[in-house]
This record gives sequence, C-alpha cells and structure tokens, in this order.
Amino acid sequence: MKISTRLQLLFLLVAVLPLALFSYLNLQQDEATLRTEALDRISGLADKKLIQVKTYLAERKREVQILARDPQLMNAIRTLPQGYAAGQLNPSYVREATQLQAYFGRYVEEHALFHDVFLMTPQGEVIYSQKREADFATNLLAGPYSETLLAHAFREVLMTLEPVISGYGYYAPSQAPALFIAAPIMVDGQFKGVFAAQLGNDLFYQVATDATGLGMSGEAIFAQWDGDDVLYTTQLKYRSEAPMKLRMNPQQSRSLPMLGALSGESGSGVKPDYRGKPVVGAWRYLPELSWGMVVKIDADEVFASIARQRVLMIEVVLGLMLFSGMLAYYFGRQISVPLEDMARTADEVAKGSMGKRVDESTPGELGRFALAFNRMAENLQGLYSTLEQRIEARTRDLNVTIAQLHEEIIERGQIENALRDNRDRLNEAQQLGRLGSWELNLLSGKLHWSDEIYRMFELDPAHFVASYENFLRVIHPDDREKVNQAYAQSLVDRQTYDVEHRLLMADGRIKWVRERCSSEFDESGKPLRSVGAVQDVTEHKLAEDRQRIAAVAFETHEGIVIADANANIIRVNHAFQEITGYDSEEVVGKNPRLLSSGAHDKAFYAAMWQQLLNEGSWSGEILDKRKSGEIYPKWMTISTVKDSEGKVSEYVAIFSDISARKKAEEEIRNLAFYDTLTKLPNRRLLLDRMSLALNSSMRNQHYGAVMFLDMDRFKTLNDTMGHDYGDLLLIEVAQRIHSCVREVDTVARMGGDEFVILVEDIDSIAEEASQRAALIAEKIRASLTTAYQLKDRSYHSSPSIGVCLYRGNEESVDALLKHADMAMYQAKESGRNTVRFFDPQMQYAVETRAALEADLRYAVFNGQLRLHYQIQVDDEHRALGAEVLVRWVHPTRGMVSPAQFIPVAEESSLILEVGHWVLETACRQLAAWSKSELTRHLSIAVNVSAQQFKLVDFVDRVMAVLRTFDVEASHLKLELTEGVVLNDVTDVVAKMYALKALGVRLSMDDFGTGYSSLAYLKQLPLDQLKIDQSFVRDITTDPNDAVMVQTIIGMAHNFRLDVIAEGVETEGQLAFLRQHGCRAFQGYLFSKPVPIEEFEQLLGRGDS
Amino acid sequence: MRQYRKFLLFILLLLALLIFLVWQYRVAAKPAVRIGVLHSLSGTMAASETPLVDAVRLAVEEANETGGVNGAQIEMIVSDCRSDAVYCAEQAEKLIVQHKVQALFGCWTSDCRKAVRPVVERHDNLLFYPVQYEGMEQSPDIIYTGAAPNQQIIPMVSWAMQQHGRRAYLIGSDYVFPRTANNIVKKLLLTRGGQPVAERYVPMGEQNFDAIVGEIAAQRPDFVVNTLNGDSNLYFFRALQEAGISADAIPVFSTSIAEPELAAIGPERVAGHYAAWSYFQSVDSIENRAFIERFRHRFGSQRVLDDPMEAAYIGVHLWVNAQRSAGTPDASSVKIALGKQTLNAPEGIVAVDAETRHLWKPVRIGRARADGQFDIVWQSGRSVAPAPFPFFISHAERAVMAGGAK
Repeated sequence: MKISTRLQLLFLLVAVLPLALFSYLNLQQDEATLRTEALDRISGLADKKLIQVKTYLAERKREVQILARDPQLMNAIRTLPQGYAAGQLNPSYVREATQLQAYFGRYVEEHALFHDVFLMTPQGEVIYSQKREADFATNLLAGPYSETLLAHAFREVLMTLEPVISGYGYYAPSQAPALFIAAPIMVDGQFKGVFAAQLGNDLFYQVATDATGLGMSGEAIFAQWDGDDVLYTTQLKYRSEAPMKLRMNPQQSRSLPMLGALSGESGSGVKPDYRGKPVVGAWRYLPELSWGMVVKIDADEVFASIARQRVLMIEVVLGLMLFSGMLAYYFGRQISVPLEDMARTADEVAKGSMGKRVDESTPGELGRFALAFNRMAENLQGLYSTLEQRIEARTRDLNVTIAQLHEEIIERGQIENALRDNRDRLNEAQQLGRLGSWELNLLSGKLHWSDEIYRMFELDPAHFVASYENFLRVIHPDDREKVNQAYAQSLVDRQTYDVEHRLLMADGRIKWVRERCSSEFDESGKPLRSVGAVQDVTEHKLAEDRQRIAAVAFETHEGIVIADANANIIRVNHAFQEITGYDSEEVVGKNPRLLSSGAHDKAFYAAMWQQLLNEGSWSGEILDKRKSGEIYPKWMTISTVKDSEGKVSEYVAIFSDISARKKAEEEIRNLAFYDTLTKLPNRRLLLDRMSLALNSSMRNQHYGAVMFLDMDRFKTLNDTMGHDYGDLLLIEVAQRIHSCVREVDTVARMGGDEFVILVEDIDSIAEEASQRAALIAEKIRASLTTAYQLKDRSYHSSPSIGVCLYRGNEESVDALLKHADMAMYQAKESGRNTVRFFDPQMQYAVETRAALEADLRYAVFNGQLRLHYQIQVDDEHRALGAEVLVRWVHPTRGMVSPAQFIPVAEESSLILEVGHWVLETACRQLAAWSKSELTRHLSIAVNVSAQQFKLVDFVDRVMAVLRTFDVEASHLKLELTEGVVLNDVTDVVAKMYALKALGVRLSMDDFGTGYSSLAYLKQLPLDQLKIDQSFVRDITTDPNDAVMVQTIIGMAHNFRLDVIAEGVETEGQLAFLRQHGCRAFQGYLFSKPVPIEEFEQLLGRGDS
Repeated sequence: MRQYRKFLLFILLLLALLIFLVWQYRVAAKPAVRIGVLHSLSGTMAASETPLVDAVRLAVEEANETGGVNGAQIEMIVSDCRSDAVYCAEQAEKLIVQHKVQALFGCWTSDCRKAVRPVVERHDNLLFYPVQYEGMEQSPDIIYTGAAPNQQIIPMVSWAMQQHGRRAYLIGSDYVFPRTANNIVKKLLLTRGGQPVAERYVPMGEQNFDAIVGEIAAQRPDFVVNTLNGDSNLYFFRALQEAGISADAIPVFSTSIAEPELAAIGPERVAGHYAAWSYFQSVDSIENRAFIERFRHRFGSQRVLDDPMEAAYIGVHLWVNAQRSAGTPDASSVKIALGKQTLNAPEGIVAVDAETRHLWKPVRIGRARADGQFDIVWQSGRSVAPAPFPFFISHAERAVMAGGAK
C-alpha cells in the first residue's frame, strides 16, 4: 500500500471516524431529548386545551343550573303550562312569554351566550322557546323532534334529575350543529319542568379551535363517533370540509391518534395524522361530549432544528474527510517521491550503470539515506573495475593450457584403439574354452578379471568391483575356507594350486569350477603377482553326482527292478530279492511277468502298459507272487527312462510290500462299522445301509421292512448270571437272526440287547409285503425262543419285535426306526414274545384328515356348504318348520357326508365358522319367509355345537344375526345336545336365559341318550325336548323303547315342554307317538332333508 | 500482527465489561411498589367481597406484565376486613404505616368506608372505593369507582316509576347506606309524585323475612326498592318465592344484587326482578368480552363477573396509568394525574371527574334471568357525569340525610 494511502486511512480512523461517531451519538441524544420535550410540551398543551373546553362547558352548565333556580323561571313554570294549554295566543301565556323573552334576551341576543333557551314540562312539551324555531310547541317525548339531542338530554334529566350536557350534532330546527345543556326545575321540592339552553356555536368554536402554542403547522381537532365512522366536529387545517362534514372510516387509518382518543385513551406520541404525515401529538377523551381531542404539531416543524443539525454534521464530516485526504496525500508525497527516485537509481545501478547517483539534497532521514546510498554506489564501482582486470589475465593463461591438452588427447586415442583389439581377441578365446583368467597384483592389491570370469560368475562388471574379498564372496560359503587356504598355502610353498570348488550364484544355483593359480615372487620370496585360470566344470560334476546318487538310491528298502526297452530285467536291488525271494541271478535277463500272481486279468496289464506308453509312468496296487508261491499285495510305480532322443531306454519299477498295511485297514473298517462282540454291523453301518435301501426302494418302488428287536428281560439275565453269559447269548442271537434272513438283508446290533433287521425289497404290493414281513418276523421270533446253551447252562429267552414297512424315501431313516421302535414297544405292551406292526392305516388316516380339513376350510368361505331342510310337522301334518342340516358339495369329492367332515371341523375350530354360517343362512331364510303369508309362521331349528355354545359372546352373536336379518326371534330354535350343555352349569344356564330373553327357543336334541341327571336338566330353561331317533326306531317292536318314549313324553308334558320325535319312518311309529301325546314329528315318513327349493315345493304341495 | 490482535482482544473485553455493568444497573431489581387490598374474606360480606380480590389481582398482573409502575413491579398485600368496619380501619392503618403501601383498594359497606376514610386522609394516602353507594361524600384522597346515586339509585327508581307505578315499598339493612339511600329514594318519589308505601329496616345478617313479605303481599306496592346487603338477600328472596309473590306482580329493584348474588341465592328465585349497575357481565362489547376471557383464563372458566369486581379492576388500572403519567410516586402528583385519567373499561369509556373524584360511568338497568345473567332493559347510551350530591336535594336536606357525616 502506498504511503499516502496509509496516511489517509490513518487520518480517517484516528480523526474523522471518531468525530463522526461522536457527533452522531450526540445528535441522537439531542433528538431523543427533543422528542421527550416535544411530547411533554404537546401533552401539556393537550391538557390545557382540554381544561379550556371543560371549563367552558362547566361554566355554561353552572349558568344553566343557576338559571334553573331563578325565581323568574320558577314562577314561569308554575303558570305557563296552563296558558300554553289554552293556546299560544292566550293572553296569560303571551304575557308570561314576553316577560321571559325580555329576561332571556340578555343571554341570547345581547351576549350571545346561548343561541336559544327552552322550557319543557315534565311530559315533554316545549312550552317556551326564545327563538321559536321549529322545535317550539312540539313534544320531545312523542313529537317530530323526539330523537334530537335536546330530546335525549331532556330524557336524561327525567331519569337522573341532574343537569345534563347533551352531545354535539346537527340540529334540524336550527339547521346548524348545536349543543344543549338542560337542568330540572324544582319548585317546593317538586319536579316541575326542565330548562334547557342551546349553545352558541361561534364562541364555543373559538375556544375549541384556538391554536395558541401550536406553532405554524399545529392544530387542535375534535371528533366524535357517528355510527361506525369518525366524524370531525371542527374544521381541519389541512382539509377543506366544513365542521361536521368530514367522515373517516377507522378501518382505513387504524393508527390515527383520534381513534385512540375516541376509545378513551389519553396518550402522546409521534404518529401519522389524517394526512399520513408524522406529527408530534397528544390525544385525550372528553366525556362531557364523548369527544376525542387531538393536539398536534408536524414532526418536521418540531424536529426541524435536529434535521438541520444533522445536515450540518454530515457536511462537516465530509469536509473533514476531504481535507484530511488532501493533507495525507501531500505529506505522503513528501516521502514517497524521493524514495521512488532512489529506487529507480538503484535499479539502474543494478543493471550496470555504475555511475548513477541520487540527489542528496532532500532534508532529514531521506537525505542521510541518499548520502549513504551514493557512497555504496561509489565503492561498488571501484570493486567492479578491479575484478574486470583480474579476469582478463586469467583468461589468457587458460587458453595456453587448453592448446597443450588438446595434443595429448590425440595421442591417447591411438594407444587405446590398439589395446582394445588385443582384449577382444583374448575374450573370444576364453569364452570358447569356458576359461577365465585373472591377475592379482599383490603389491597394489588390484585384481583384474577377464570378461569370461564375469560371465562365469554371473556378475555385472559395471556394478562389481574386482577384489579378492568379492571373489571369495561369490564362492560357496562352505568352500571359501578351502580356497583361501589353498591359495595361502601356494604362496608359502611357492607352488601352483589346483582346486575344485563351488560357486553360489545369486539365484541359488551351484556351479563347479576348477581353479589353477601360480604366483611370481621377487628375490626375497615376497609374492608380487598371482595369475590364475578358472574353468567351469559344473556339467562334469553334475554327471558325477548323478551317478553316485543313482547307486545309493538303488539300495533302498523298496524293491527296484530295472528293465531294458524290451522289458527284460537288467538289474534288481537287494530289497527286491528280500521281498520276492528271488536272487539277482535268477531274474536278470528274464521278463518280470514271472512275478505275476494271476489275480489280475489281461485288461489290467493292458491298461497299465497303455498308461506307461502315454504318460511315461504308472502307479497302483498289484498282486504278485513270491518265489514261495505266496501271493501278496504291493504298491508299484513304473517309470520310463528316455534317452536323449526321446526313445525309451529303460523301465524302472519301484514297489513295496503293503500286505501289512492292508491288514491294518481291514482291522479299522471292522472296528468302525462292526460290533466287536457279535460281528454284526453297528448303528452307523445300519443307518448307511438303510439310507441306501430307501433310495433303492425309491427307484424300484418295492416295499421293505424295518424290524426292531429287543430281547425280553435281558437285563435280568445279565444281573443273575453275569455279563459273559449275556455276551454269549447275544452272539448266539445274532447268529440265529442271521440264519433267518437273506445275505442281502442287514442285521445290526444297535446296542445292549437291541437289534435292527433291515429286510429290503420284499414286494411291490403293501399287503403282500406286510404278509411276507410278518412271516419273516415270526420266523425270527420262533427261532429266538428255542433254548440256548450258554457254556454249561441252559437258558430260555424271547424277543419283542416291532415291524414298520417302508416304500421309497418318503419317510426318513429316523422316522422309520422310530416307528419300528414304537411298534416294538406295542409288542412289549401286548405281553412280549410277539410281533407288532406299525399301522400304516394310522398314517393314512392322519394324512386324509389333514387334507379334508384344508378342503373344509376352503369350503366354508367359498360357498360349498349348503343347508338341507328336514320338515317338522304337527299332528295334522301341517308344517311347523324345519331342521337345517349342513351339507358339503365338493367339486371333486362330491357330496361329503357330515359324518366325515363334522368330526374334522370339531377337531379344528372350523366348527365355529360352519356353525355361524348355518345360523346366518337360517336367519336369512327366515327373513325371506317372513314376507309371505304362507311361510311367515315357519320356524327353523339350528344345531349348535358345544364349541359354539362355549363362546363367551355366543349370545351376542345370535343377537347380532337376528338383528342383521331383522328376524322374529321366536322363529329361531336352537337345538342343543346334552353334551353341549354338560359343563359349567352356571355359564350354560346364564346363556340359556339370555337367549330366552331374546325370544329364541331352545330344544334339547337327542334327549335321553346322554348321562345327565334330570335334576340338572330341570334347571335349564328349555322349550322343547327332542326324542332321539334311536328310541323312535324300535317303539313298535321293543317294549323298553316304547316305555322310554312314553316316559319322555309324559315328563315333557309335566314340565310343560313341547316334545318332538325325530326319525319317524312308519305310520305305526306315528300312530304310537300320537297316541301317547306327541304332537310334533320329524322323519323320513314326511321328508328327508332336502335343499330349499324342494322344501318350498313341499310346503306348496300341502305336506307329506 | 500478534500485537494488534492482543490489543483488539483487550478492547473487546473492556466493551463487554461495560455492557455488563450497564445491564446490571438497568436490570437491578427496583424495590417493588406496594398496594394494600382491604376486603372481607370472612363474615357476612365474604361472599360478595372475596371475588374483588381476584379482580384486583388480575389488574395488578396485567400492569406488571406491561412494565409495572415506573420500572418497579407492583406487589399487593391483602388484608381480611372480617366484615367489621372498625377492624378494617385498623388494618388500613397497619397497611399504610407498616407495609408502606402507596394506595389502598377496598371496602364494600359504607360503614367500612366511613371508618377507613379518616385513616386515609390522616396519612395523605389514597383509597379506591369500588362499590355503588349513597353519595353525599367527597374526599380528595378517595377515588370512587362505583356508581354515585345519580348513576344508579335515582335512574333505577325513575325507571321503576315510569314502568310500574307510583307506589313503592322500601326495605333495607340497618346501616348508613340503606338509610341514606332510602332518604334519597323517598325524596325522589315525592319529587316525582310517587308514594313511599312503607320503609323497613332489618339488622345485618337477618334471616327471617316472613313479616316483611307478609306486609308486601298485603300492601301490594307497584314495586319494591331493596337495599338489603349480605346474605339477608338470600332469605328475603326465598321468603318472597315461598309467599308466591311473582316478579311480574311486584317487581323488586335491588341495589346490591349482582351476578354472584344471583348464583348464591338461586337465579330462579330472582328471575324477573331488577338491578341497576353500570356494569353487567352481559354487556356486549369487545372490551368486556376480552375482559371476561382474561379473568376466566386466570381464575377459572366458571367464574362470574359483577359491577364491583369491574370497578375494582378499573380502579387499579386508573391508578397505574396515573402513576405512569405522573412519572413519580409523589402522592400529590399522582392525585393530580388521576384527575385527568380516562379509560376504555369493560363497562364503556370511563373518565375521572377531577372535581368530585368520582367517575363518568354508563347507567344500566338489568332484569335477572334464570341462567344467572341479566338482560339489559335500559341503558344511558353514554357515560353520565357523577353527582355525589344530587341536584334536587338542597344543602340543608343533604346534611340531614347524610346523618350528619359528610
């Protein structure tokens, strides 16, 4: 930043800104003070003005009050009314009126204090008026001016008997705004009339609108409410409307000070007035006239001085800024110009014009600086010239030296060329012979290697420094000492040394080299120089090694046979002779087939040779024959050896005798899968066999059987006779079982005295298979019950056998075993020494039931259920109603009998859904029937299952259904069996009573077939007993049943219950029942259960 | 550069300290301004007076929310008058001397006010009296926010005469207000050509009205003027009901029955009878509705409001506004400022009449309903100037009527 800019900123920050801030704050303070003062002043003015107006009004009121007591008036009010009543031209009236006229003239005409005065009677008649305007001689309570301000004031005087000031407003009789003051006239303590004065506008007006102290722009304005509008009662300074003419809607200007005044506030503030200009104002409320008053001065006028001051302040600040700017600039330049000048000169000097100088005439620090600068420049100049001279001299010397050097270089070049040629020739020779040479100068220690050495040692000459230490490093660590020794020795002996040693390459390869070295000595014997040759003999060495290894390997514990390309034995090792029993001489030259055992077929050997030819090796297990004739298993590997041309030169076979190993394997297998005692398969093997059997059965769909066998009371035997007898028994049992089954079947010992027999592949038909299995099981059982001879004792035992059939692998192995086990358990339960089958029927039944349940669930929600109606008739064969029975029509199963699906439904909770569906359908039908004369009387009996009845909200459900279909409850009959109502007496009874309360009828179905006591049945609120069909069936033939039925009917009558007989099939039964008092019947005699269409036809036809 | 930063930090800290000090100074709790509340929380007047304490409390809370009085919060100290005027005066003395209250708000019965007045005047303190009364009184140290006789009793009787007839039966409790009020009523009746049929007094707390009611039934006046106070009213109206006297036949015009008394007596007993107040809860204005809402929000949605409660409430606001306008607690300045106060009250716009120290108030006559509220059957339309000394009663008569006490 330039100096002048910085100075400007400084001035600004230090001088101007604080000043401006300070002035501004000061100004704000002044403004606030001025504002407060102005508000105080205007408030004071407002108060004064208010008092002015109030005082004026109070004085007028006092005058009226006094006048109301004036004897003249009191006299007048005594006599005037009669005169007035007689007529205005009545002489007494005229006389009195003239007197009053003169009296009041002082107030009205002379001093113009009042515009008009009036006298009213308590009844409201205006009997006197000074001016005799239109209001004279009217009645203020009932006349044309009964809603004027005067009339309101009059009424208020009537109510309060106090002097009253009216409001202000337009007064029609005077055709001008007016204000009234009225007072009661009391004569001898009696209220005789009212005196009122109408105020002269002008005086009042002057008082109100006097604007003293309000400056040029100020004014005092008054307004009152006129309906919802603000009506200004005085002339506004800035509006042309006359008083009482200007209206404003308060919605449009909500912040008008006048609004505050009119709502009873007294306050002050700076607010926008009716012009929208901000004013300093105070507002008050005048209760005497219900007026609001606002006294205001324009804010501009009030704060004019402040505004001016502010402008002045701004001017001053700007001026100062300008001034400081200029000053800063000037002073800045004083410094910056000389500095610039110096900078420029310095640049020039730096560029090379050493002679330049600056002006030293500037005063002060700058002048001193200039002086110093010039002196420096002077020095610099001197140094520079000295330097130049020296450089010149040097340059001359250098040129001479360069020329000399040039000549030497040319000579050098020629010598080097000759050397290079020689070296190349030497390198070629060494490479051919794989021979490298080296030379060591023992005095200087310098070692020189030929190129071949580098190649042999696989070192990069660029990176490798030839030294004896480095040489040693390349040597294989194990040989270093040997080499070092050899060399050292050769120096001592003054002999050549010749050693073979290894090199260790960077990648780990080994090379063999032969090294010869001779040394030169001086007269004293000190070694001067050694020269050596190194030859790579790796290949040679490798060949040697190979031969040696082969010889050693040959004599291993495994048999080795080497045969030639024609498979004639060339060599055999010692191990071969041991294993086979043949001596070397006996087999050399012969074919190895002399060893074959004959256990393998031709195909085996053919495959072996084939592989040999293709892949060059074969390994596998093979059975050969020893010399002794013993056949033994061996593991053999045959390899082909190829010569350098790729043709087979030899066959090498290596083998070992694995007979011992084989035996061990057998042992393990046995242990793993066989029970040690009985030699039977153990559990593990059995499971494995079973899963195979299942899979096999899956394929051929043949039945097999699993039998679980347990020796009865085996524990007793063990306890009484000891474990070794027990073991003997088990071994015998195992053998016996084995003898009863085929080879392919498995007999396994599961543990303890439990055996499992797996009989596979019995038959393809279940019944046959089970028969056969039964036979086998029986055979086993019989076999095991014959006497056992254990050591010296004789023993009897017996088995319990459980049999389970299988087919395919639908059931798992575990399930099968479990089922067989369960069957065996059954056998034990049945008394032991017997065979039991796991019933496949059971299985089947479960499956079918599950399927049926699923179908039924679907049926309930998909309309497969139907209701069939069986007619119930009275003794004249008239239809009473019907019992509904549920039927199921399945798309594929066809008609499923209730005997089948009801039990299934009851076991799941589907019975609830079914039951509810039945109830709903029955009620729907009842609702339909209620519409026709023919069927209106019919009732429907619905069977209720125990589960349904047990539901906590059963009654509510019934009620809901009744209500939904709007059914007459007495047409619904619920049939409950004894079983349904057996448990929880209190609950049952409560529910039945609740149902009765609904109007539903209750019938006891299958009566007489249950076990409940009559006492219990007596508690139940039944309507009807239904005689079970089992009794009805035999009434004509079995006297017991007949008596039973009679009794039931009699009892029903005694208990006042209806009775209906079901299962009526013959006329005879019908007659008997009728005879004994039964009046309702149901049965095939009349109709079987039929669908609704048929049932209705039945009704139509009359009946049975 | 680091030095600049340090310097800046120092300046900032200094500034912060300054601001903190200034803030502390401003916020420093100014000592609270105290007012005393003198109402009977026990005794026969308790039912009528206890709600007034709540009205005062609401006004005090509202004032405190808007900044209190000249920066200080208002604290109210409540004393129980025990329906005993002498005891009340003692409490007033205690409040002024011990608790240094700047103003008192209270009293109901004229006995109580007349006992407290000398205490207030002696200490140059200030009392706001919120109940309608018999007038004939004026004090530079009391602001009467209740109705003067020309704002209640007189228009009530005038209206009764206009609507029902000339014959009036006067019944009241035996103390200064009913006696003075009945004097005015009698004078008024005579002035207007009416006829006082009988004038009866019963002790405060009287419960047996059989004789009175019997007389009313016998005399069959056109209307009854009832200046009973306290729970006597309950027994009176019950007796009327039991005697089978209906409001249509002989309407009763009461001066001391408002919404709470209706609830206490049983509105069905008073339905059809009349009362005159400046304020009824049923006044239909924005101000009143807001006032009722505020009161119920604070004290419970089932509360009813009556004229004395409203008068007590506006008394507090007038005092607060005068304090704020005067800008100083100096008693004289406040009293002068009070003379200029106007207020947009729930009853309408009220204004303090500087000379008489009473308020310009609207006048209303209400007819009791069975639901416990009043139908307003007549209203003055605008606020009426107070006249504690009725115009139609001469000075000499006044002295007699006021029982010597002025």
